[in-house]
Amino acid sequence: MAGHSVVGKSIIRLDALDKVTGKAKYCEDLKLPGMLYGKVLRSPYPHAHITSIDTSRAENISGVRAVITGRDVPEKRYGPSVFDQHTLARRVVRYVGDPVAAVAADSVEVAERALGLLKVEYEKLPAIFDIEEAWEKNPPVIVHRDLPKYELGKFPPLRLVPDRPNVCHLRMLRHGDVERGFKEADLIVENKFTTTRIQHCPFEPHGSIAQAESDGSLTIWAGRQSIFLARQYLCKLFDLLPSQVRVIASHYIGGGFGSKVTLYTEPIGVMLSMKTGRPVKLTFSREEMFSSGGTRIPFVIRIRDGVKKDGTLVARDMEMLLGMGAYAGSGPLITRNCIYGAVATYRIPNAKIDAYAVYTNEPPVTSFRGFGSSQVLWAIESQMDVIAEELGLDAVELRRKNLLEEGDTNITGEIVHSIGIRECLDKVAESLEGSPKSKMEGGPWRRGKGLALGNKYSMAPTAAVAIVKVKGDGTIEVHESADEIGQGCHTVLAQIAAEEFGVSVDEVKMVWGDTAFTPYFSRGSTSQRTTFNVGNAIRLACQDAKRQIFEIAAEKVHAQIQDMDIKDGAIYVRSDPSQRISVTELFTSERALSPGEFGDYVEPSAEILGKGVWVTRPAPSDPETAQIPENVARMGGRLAGFFGYGVQGVEVLVNIETGEVKVEKVVAASDVGYPLNPKMCEQQIEGGVAMGIGSALWEEVALDKGKVVNPNFGNYKIVTSINMPKIENVKVFLVSAPHKEGPYGAKGTGETQMTPTAPAVANAIYNAVGVRIKDLPITRERVFRVLREKAGG
Amino acid sequence: MPCEEVTYMKQRLELKVNGQTYEVLVDPWQSLADVLREELGFTGVKVSCNSGNCGSCTVLLDGKAVKSCIMFAPLAKGKEILTIEGLATESGLHPLQEAFIEHFAVQCGYCTPGMILMAKALLDENLDATEDEIREGLVGNLCRCTGYVKIVEAIMAAKEKMKVTSSH
Ligand code: FES
Ligand code: FES
Repeated sequence: MAGHSVVGKSIIRLDALDKVTGKAKYCEDLKLPGMLYGKVLRSPYPHAHITSIDTSRAENISGVRAVITGRDVPEKRYGPSVFDQHTLARRVVRYVGDPVAAVAADSVEVAERALGLLKVEYEKLPAIFDIEEAWEKNPPVIVHRDLPKYELGKFPPLRLVPDRPNVCHLRMLRHGDVERGFKEADLIVENKFTTTRIQHCPFEPHGSIAQAESDGSLTIWAGRQSIFLARQYLCKLFDLLPSQVRVIASHYIGGGFGSKVTLYTEPIGVMLSMKTGRPVKLTFSREEMFSSGGTRIPFVIRIRDGVKKDGTLVARDMEMLLGMGAYAGSGPLITRNCIYGAVATYRIPNAKIDAYAVYTNEPPVTSFRGFGSSQVLWAIESQMDVIAEELGLDAVELRRKNLLEEGDTNITGEIVHSIGIRECLDKVAESLEGSPKSKMEGGPWRRGKGLALGNKYSMAPTAAVAIVKVKGDGTIEVHESADEIGQGCHTVLAQIAAEEFGVSVDEVKMVWGDTAFTPYFSRGSTSQRTTFNVGNAIRLACQDAKRQIFEIAAEKVHAQIQDMDIKDGAIYVRSDPSQRISVTELFTSERALSPGEFGDYVEPSAEILGKGVWVTRPAPSDPETAQIPENVARMGGRLAGFFGYGVQGVEVLVNIETGEVKVEKVVAASDVGYPLNPKMCEQQIEGGVAMGIGSALWEEVALDKGKVVNPNFGNYKIVTSINMPKIENVKVFLVSAPHKEGPYGAKGTGETQMTPTAPAVANAIYNAVGVRIKDLPITRERVFRVLREKAGG
Repeated sequence: MPCEEVTYMKQRLELKVNGQTYEVLVDPWQSLADVLREELGFTGVKVSCNSGNCGSCTVLLDGKAVKSCIMFAPLAKGKEILTIEGLATESGLHPLQEAFIEHFAVQCGYCTPGMILMAKALLDENLDATEDEIREGLVGNLCRCTGYVKIVEAIMAAKEKMKVTSSH
């Protein structure tokens, strides 16, 4: 966009210097005087009664300061949507890894030694692991017998299904008349797709330091996403007021990807601190991250599509079962929102979606980059290729034919705005054109290419507040509460403030989040909402501060406020730029003493405060149909903040003798609204692609009767440097379909990026060797087996 | 993990870190990463898996990369230990540090110190390393955020700078 001097440029990240020199501090690096270390004993069984716990031997070790069990924790359950979880299990454990007891000690070693001396007796109960079986009307095991009596949160409003006792939420969408649509169809295609559990693997594991203060309040230092959500959850659990809980962002956070939204370490840390009066640091081991740190939700998806001969989609029916594991966490919200993955790309006149949140005795799930959209798009984008094949159409053309356009109505009744997906598709399709035509490579290798479309909404409601302080030395200090989880939010937000004041980012100082000092940001850096919402709040705060500055300056430069602007630390008159006064002068100038002796005088050490409040409100939608009322939609009412779009194409090599798959080339185009910092957009895309490839080919938290059997990087394979295509074979395109409300048109972009990757890989594999894998991950064994079957072996 | 009955004597250990000598009392089972971080405050040493599988905790011992989370601290006795805190000199940042900044090779930063030190060990050994060789060399250093694209780019760029300096 023309006329911008700071946004739109690849400004060097503000955090880079700290991070390459080892100065960057994370939660795990913090130490407080008198700090103790906590460790948690976890259930070895997927479902059992706790019959007794003997803590005496553990308590007697020197250096052990507290041992707590279910008897010590609140009777009250907690959770982001269903209040289904105790801080420590009180009577029943429901998954392998359920916290049973905890120790605070002088060192990690002593705490671990004490865990080994805790004696817990269990009485095993039958457990259930299969999502479809758990969803049945008369399941052999009910994970939460008291579910109908549990307190339910308000966001989202939950719908239990009385005759399906393991279901804690049902989300429905009804648009048009799906049966009529199927009658009009020339072809009906039905398939079942599944996804598996993957772990976020943020490189800094979950961790926090909890301090129970003597007045009953709490102070928490946390490496997490969303300090205000943590405060809200902790207030609820411990019956405290918002003013009694202070959550401090422990500076940098070593990755999140959705995993650090819910409470993992904080409640137990608080209990240990309450018992000892001392600060307690609790950090997950990598093994605990896999067993108890949350995973992406495994989906079972049945998709049935009706199409005309020419490829026009006329009906889509999806039934989705989402495995929550033993505690629902953010799962019900994902159940609600995952359907948006099916909403944003295609024009579908008749649609029906049912999504069920289902308990099992497996480890609990949580939000994960993509928040359900990735899994839904795994099914849809695989299915689109199946349909194209059955109709004898080109897969790209089939998609082009059905794409939503600006001004169209999607299947929630929302009127589409800011959709750059067609341009993304054109760019990727064109770039893949150039790849070699022959499928034969050397020896057993076959080459194939495929693409897929992705989208990700940003959740509303969101409220973000920013305070901007202009200092006497001209520095702009920005107070907001976004979480620096590695996405670089402070850099982009500083760019916005710098742009508004016409200065370089060096003049901007970002302040770390702290619920006691920095202003409200309802749900923190989740749902790719930071740039859009906090960015807007900062713009408004800057404008508020500038208005005050202009008011003070108006006297000195004899101009109307409307005629004033600010750049490089000076306020000037637009019609006569020689009329100017610097910001520092404003704070110190003798001229400021007139008209009254102290009239408009600003002390040099004073500051001018600007405030900005931004709220993204969703339109109301019908709980039975997920439809937005027509009149609301026409007025611009929408279900989410915005939709980001991305298209990815890949070229793969498949070994027909071993089933091995190599990704040789990736082309990724992404509609980011407006790239505020193009290189940082690329970072998100490249990282998303890598995670997407991992999720496509290897990543799976493998469970044996509910127990994680690969809880470390040795056995759980994330993408390494040799799994990614070479530099010249990773092509990224940034597309801009500006959003009318986005700061400078920008939309968030962190999550969109892995939504198309896995189906693109599957489609390329099909293109190479003609086998369609419908279950993630597409392991070598799976490919090999299906190739065998196909060959009639 | 030690068991309850046995008590250990702490050992006095002399470590040379980033050119300075430190004397510490360590438990015999303590890892080098733990001693560097917890006893000496070199928190630039990042521990992510604590099992030798990710490379975040990489430090250089006499110029060779080691995973400090799986090495007993006493084994580093008498060796020159380099952590990320010691990489920049009075004349400024190391070319790898500069390149990681300029090429946007840093996101959450947790893998970064280990990644940079591993790259240094690789390039110190072979300033002509190709992209493939660099990728091979980094295979034990995982990163969850970047997809390695910009990391490899940065190392390739640093390599060129280092070549120029080393030919002077
Ligand atoms: S922390 Fe040492 S290799 Fe992972
Ligand atoms: S930058 Fe986050 S793990 Fe590499």
